[in-house]
This record gives sequence, C-alpha cells and structure tokens, in this order.
Amino acid sequence: MTIDLILDTAERVFTDHCNKELRDSAESGSIDDQKGLFPEGLWTVIQDTGLHQVGGRESGTTLADAFRMIRLAGKFAVPLPYPEILISNRFVTGQGLTTVAEGVIAPWARRAERVVTDDGQLVDEFDVVEGANLAGEPRDEVVFENSKSIELPPNFRAIMAMTRVAAMSGALEKLLELTIDYVGERKQFGRPISGFQAVQHNVARMAGEVAASTRASDAAIEALDTNRFVIQVSAAKVRVGEAAGIVAEIAHQAHGAMGFTHEHELHHYTRRLWAWRDEYGHEKEWQQLIGRQVVAAGADRAWELISDCAD
Amino acid sequence: MFSGLDFEPARLPPEAEALRVGVRDFVERELPGDYLRNSDFNEGHSAEFSQKLGMRGWIGMTWPQQYGGGDRSFFERYVVTEELLAAGAPVSAHWIADRQSGPLLLRYGTEDQKLKYLPPITRGESYFSIGMSEPDSGSDLASVQTRASAVDGGWILNGTKLWSTDAHRNHYIVALVRTGPSGESRHEGLSQFIVDLHANGVTVRPIKNIAGDEDFNEVVFEDCVVSEENLVGAVGNGWEQVTSELGYERSGPERFLSAFRVFVEFVRYVGASPSDEESALIGRLASHIMTLRQMSISVAAMLQAGKNPATEAALVKSLGNDFEKTLPELVRLFAPRLGPKHPLRCSLEQTLLHSPSFTIRGGTREILRGVIARGLGLR
Repeated sequence: MTIDLILDTAERVFTDHCNKELRDSAESGSIDDQKGLFPEGLWTVIQDTGLHQVGGRESGTTLADAFRMIRLAGKFAVPLPYPEILISNRFVTGQGLTTVAEGVIAPWARRAERVVTDDGQLVDEFDVVEGANLAGEPRDEVVFENSKSIELPPNFRAIMAMTRVAAMSGALEKLLELTIDYVGERKQFGRPISGFQAVQHNVARMAGEVAASTRASDAAIEALDTNRFVIQVSAAKVRVGEAAGIVAEIAHQAHGAMGFTHEHELHHYTRRLWAWRDEYGHEKEWQQLIGRQVVAAGADRAWELISDCAD
Repeated sequence: MFSGLDFEPARLPPEAEALRVGVRDFVERELPGDYLRNSDFNEGHSAEFSQKLGMRGWIGMTWPQQYGGGDRSFFERYVVTEELLAAGAPVSAHWIADRQSGPLLLRYGTEDQKLKYLPPITRGESYFSIGMSEPDSGSDLASVQTRASAVDGGWILNGTKLWSTDAHRNHYIVALVRTGPSGESRHEGLSQFIVDLHANGVTVRPIKNIAGDEDFNEVVFEDCVVSEENLVGAVGNGWEQVTSELGYERSGPERFLSAFRVFVEFVRYVGASPSDEESALIGRLASHIMTLRQMSISVAAMLQAGKNPATEAALVKSLGNDFEKTLPELVRLFAPRLGPKHPLRCSLEQTLLHSPSFTIRGGTREILRGVIARGLGLR
C-alpha cells in the first residue's frame, strides 16, 4: 500500500473511532470524571489495520511516512501514545505496546509492556507513578532498576521532537478548520461573525501561523535523510511552538465562552498544543541550539547556514 | 491544505543552487568595504551595480532570450535575488523593472514593446517605477482618477500618481489610469500606459520620508501626450493586469529579508561567546527566516508551474513584513548605547526608520489580511 492509501485508511479509522467521548474517557488528571481509560478498542483496530507499523523497517513505508501519520493523528487528537508506538516499532523490535520516555516520563507507561528511554535503554520491568500533561494525556514516571542498553540513532531527540512538530502541525490545521466553521455559523448582531473585519483579520493571522507551521514541519520531514535534518527540526520546533500559542489564543477568542466549556471539543486541541510545545524541548532550548550554530558559523556565513541546501 | 492555501513542498533544483556561490563572490568583489549594506530592496540605487548585474545575466533571468532574457527558471531567479538581498547589495534601480514591469510587458505587451523595452532592462540600463497609488487612492486602487483621453494617434494624460519609488531617477513609469467608466464592479475602464518620466507634461517631485531620504515621489501628468504604442495590453483591461502583477510582487524574498542586515550585524556584535539569551534570539530569528524562505520558495514553484498563487503570496508577504518589523524591535534590547558609527547601530537605525513602510508598500497588512480571509472563504 502506498502511504496515501494508508493515510486514507487511517483517516477513516480516526473518523469512525476517535470522538470527543473517547478522548474524554482517556484523559487522566485532576478533573473528577477523568478516567484515564486506555482506548483498547481503537488500539485493536489500529493493530488489525496495521497502522501501528507505519514507518517500520519491514513495512515498506518510511520514517517520513510515520511523521505524516503522526500529523494526521494530531489532527484527530488520537488518545493513544501513537508517536511512541510508531517510533519504538521502527527502532526496537518486539511485540506488545512499547512507549518512549523523555527522561523518565513516558506516555501511557501504565499500559505499556516495555519502555524505551530516549537515552537508549530498554526497560521491561518497571513501576509507574501516574501523571498527566496539561491536556490530560497520561505522562507517567517510570521507575526501574534494570535496563538493557540499545542502540538508537544519534539524532533520536530530534526525531522525538519531530513527532511533536508533526502532531502540532496537524492540531493547528484542525484549529483553523474548527475556527473557520465556527465564525461562519455563529451569528451576532444579525450576521455571521465571519462578516466582521476584526474577526476576519484574526483568522487571517491564524492562517499565516498555521501555513508557516505546516511548511516548517514539511521542510523538516523533507530533510530527514540529509545533514540538514537536525537544524530543520530545530527551526520547526521553534516556529511551530511559537505558532501553537498564537493559534490557540486566537481560536479560543473566536469561539468565545463556548470554546471555554469542557463540553466543546476545542480544548482537546488547544490543551494538547500547550502540552506538546513543551515536550522534547520548548522553543528556547531549540532556539539556543540553532543560535549557537549561527554564531559558530559567524556573521558573514550566517546566511550560508540558513540557506544551505541539504546533501 | 485549504482552498487557496496550498504551500506545496518545493526544493530549489541543483541548477539554481549552482548560482549561489557565483553571486556571493560577485557581491564581495563589487561592493566597497565601507558600503553600508542594506537588505531592503528599496535602498541602494546604483546604475553601476545594476549594469554589472545585467552583464552577468542576472536581470530578466526568466525572460526569453530574444528579449535579452536568460530563459531561466523562477528558482534560478529566486536564488540570485535572495543572495543579493542577503548580502545587502544595492538593487533598487532595476528591481521593479525586473520583478514586475518586465513580466507585465511579457504577458500583455506588443512585440514592438517587448523588443523596445525589455533588452535595456536586462542590461541594467533601464529602470521602471510603479504608477498605481494616487493622493485619493491608496489601498483602494479601483478609485484612481488619473485619466487618459483618446486623441489623434494617441492619448492625453492628466492626474497625479503618488508614492512612485525612484521616479526621480528612473526612466519610465507604468501608470494605471482611467479610460472609461468604472462600471458596477468598479474594475472596468482602467488601462495601463508606459510613460517616459522625462517627457513633456510630466513633473516628478521627490517626497522626503521620515528617514530623511528622497525615495518616493509625486508624479504629475499635465496634458501629457503619449502615443498608441504606450498603451500596455487592452484598453479597459487594467484591473486584470495590475492584479496579475501581485503574485510576483508579494511573495519574493524582499518581503521578509528587509531587516536581514540587522541580524547579520547582531551576530557579529555578540561575537564568539554569546549569552544564552543572545543565542536564543538568534535562533528564534533564524527559525523564522528559514520558514518564510521555505514558504517563498513554495510560491516560486507555483509561479514556475504557471499557477496564480495570489492568496499564498499575500500570506507570505503579510507574515514576512510583520517579521521584518519585529526583528529590529527584538535586537535593539540587546544592543544598548552603541557608538554612532557602530555597524549594528547604523543598521538598526536605518531599518527602524524605514520599517513603517514594510507593512504598507505593495499592499498594506490590512488589505493582505482581507485577501487571505477571502481565500479562506470568510468573505
């Protein structure tokens, strides 16, 4: 199957199975009715359709394809550790649900059979201290004594940052769609609020941020097999992280009090953006990484570094 | 992604990348060491430099060879223009002719007009100004009142054009004028004429800007007679023609690189051991430039494919202009009390003084956001 067909399949699966109710039930955290239930049904469907193997070395698809899938999952706010499933499947063989820890914090460790840490350890016996990010996505602390060293690519942190970039760019596109729909439907003063110039200009600004994010994310994926990958991911994490805050703010403003209710699905995207921009390094960490490279290149070669084409 | 918002992945092909080093070497050789480099395409009017670029084949690059062009791709032109801007070279003399007057003539001009006007442009000898705005027509271009009336063998022009950059040192202006009633759409009855800026009946008055420079002008036509050969395209087709220029006008690297030399001087200023905050700012600015650049290249690919990416171009310009304005605002807080000749201070002050124009020229931020909103289906 080509990646386009796989993406079509995934879109159908996500559309059919991934609704607000499921996302609510998967949330873990401080609100009373949050259950933190792992979506077993969706996970079964994903395994049956092979969507958990996209990007795997024997799947006939690439790591770039995995990032495209993660973007789509971000657009649907899929309540699974989907990036961790795809990335661990690519770099670590084995059965069962494997998650990836940033340091010792891993999505859905409570449900995972194994944990891969981003510094290259494989852990299959561990205790869990349950926790969650501000989107209510399980982010559990993994406590372990024994682990096995495994070989991960040297740019593994950039690869994990790329999963967040891809997921964010998907969620950002969704927020633009939701907002365009909402301002076209919501009537005030006798007309849809999309008729007001102030609203139009906010949505236009949002579209600029979303388009920049999509482009930055794509450019990083395109650079995947080149010596430009890390710098492009760095730039994308910075740019998309910045856009996440702006777009979430405008989306909430456009949706008014409705969008501030728990009942509305808007927060499933905005809260994830607020969380994901901090995972695998917030903007400042990656800004400094790029900044130091520019400074090392020097003023008269700064442009060369920025405009260099990959090889 | 959405209708009217489609930044397809695009990479510069090897033959375009191959031009880069040659342009860099050329600029280093040709610019005097004490030249205050400026990445604003409107700053630096040098006939000598433009003619040298012309000799290298770097003006009118995408035009057919029979008109002096290079039959090159938009990607190749993209590389040359971004290299010149990034280096802060003086390009304003030929910029408008190369970017939009030439392409306008290629698309709508007669064979005689192409043969007459295009080769001198490609040699870097012939410079054009834009004649769109008027005292009472800024963003609302359909309301222009300069009028051309048919007379024996030609037309007679009366009215005033405003904000025509470099009209006091360029050779021609392409004037958008009223030749008939505006109709219900307000877009009818407009036509474009090439007018020799030194012709009888044309008065050019420079207008000093807040930086103390005389870049833009008032151009007054008083019974200025032009021949039939000066009409560009069809009578009454002016609206379509000016809007077709906008894809070229709005998406290029000049829409996000105007403040780039401030960035370069800031990198020089922080030296080899920057603070974490300085590194972070440099990285943040670089990330924006890298992303805008990818978007701009994507639009170049659409132009190359013969598409009309009007909404995407408006979006790149709007994002890029806001960035150009933000850059000096962020950098200045890291550069306190520098001496009057310090290159970072000079670059910062020059850019700040010109920055109000970034979000006005070529379509204001407000107009662009309206174009984007229309592309999104909101209006």
